[in-house]
Amino acid sequence: MKNLEELKQIKERVRRNLEMRSGDYRVKIIVCLGTCGIAAGARQTMNKLAELSAQSNRTDIAISTTGCAGFCEQEPMIKVQEKGKEPVTYGHVDIAAAEEIFDKHILNGQIVERYLFSKGE
Amino acid sequence: MRTIADHLFDILENSVNAHASKIIVTISFFKHIFLCRIIDNGTVANLNNVTDPFVTSRKTRRVGLGLPLLKSTVEGTGGHLNLSRLERSSGTCLEFTVNMAHIDARPFGDISSVFIDALRSWPGIEFEIFINNAKKEKKILDTVELKTMLELDIIQDMEVLNYIGEQLKKALFKIGINQQFGVS
Repeated sequence: MKNLEELKQIKERVRRNLEMRSGDYRVKIIVCLGTCGIAAGARQTMNKLAELSAQSNRTDIAISTTGCAGFCEQEPMIKVQEKGKEPVTYGHVDIAAAEEIFDKHILNGQIVERYLFSKGE
Repeated sequence: MRTIADHLFDILENSVNAHASKIIVTISFFKHIFLCRIIDNGTVANLNNVTDPFVTSRKTRRVGLGLPLLKSTVEGTGGHLNLSRLERSSGTCLEFTVNMAHIDARPFGDISSVFIDALRSWPGIEFEIFINNAKKEKKILDTVELKTMLELDIIQDMEVLNYIGEQLKKALFKIGINQQFGVS
């Protein structure tokens, strides 16, 4: 099914990456991927964030998903959880918004007021 | 939902919510008919009226739109949607067809990205994916096998995901499924 040689190479690289990773994440990004989120384009948002995270070469960013948060009109929504800080929730996060939030908040810790939905749980 | 891919991801989420640990997806595309079968080993909900938007197993809200939306997409093209419980073990089988030649058919979207998103979102769930071109069936992804080969507990590494994505894209392309299909 797979090209064995290619897989071996990938295996080596992944192992090295894993060694670099401390196992602890500084920032966790949670994307709401309920029916409402998906319909609003949240998969594109998540893919953009994953791509940016890979490009940034940072190993302290984790991306995960959750279901509908109950504010379907705000979708696509993401929650940014920085270690030791209150979580921040953003609404209407399209690809452009994801780029801005990634640059300002995730890399530099500045909250992007324009897309802010709520602070705290 | 803009694409068939969006629907597919949404429906996979139902299996996850039913505590499935393994999901087997079979995709076939033959003579304009796209067929997708999803078999999971999750708990079986009451399958009566599940395509009614006001029927849902969740407790937080009284509406569930995933299956009704899929039903309307499917039936708008003359396809069918069928949900049944497995006979020999616990689990559910969902099958739907979409006539992609129908004027109301939604574009495929990126089907391979659905599985990448799924692996990223639910690292604990094992997937087996098959494609079928009406002549023969071929397994194109088996996460248990892949994890053993790579000696990994979970598949979350971007490079591995990209690699799987490329492989899936190629395999799907061979049976005529590509992102541009149906996009005018």
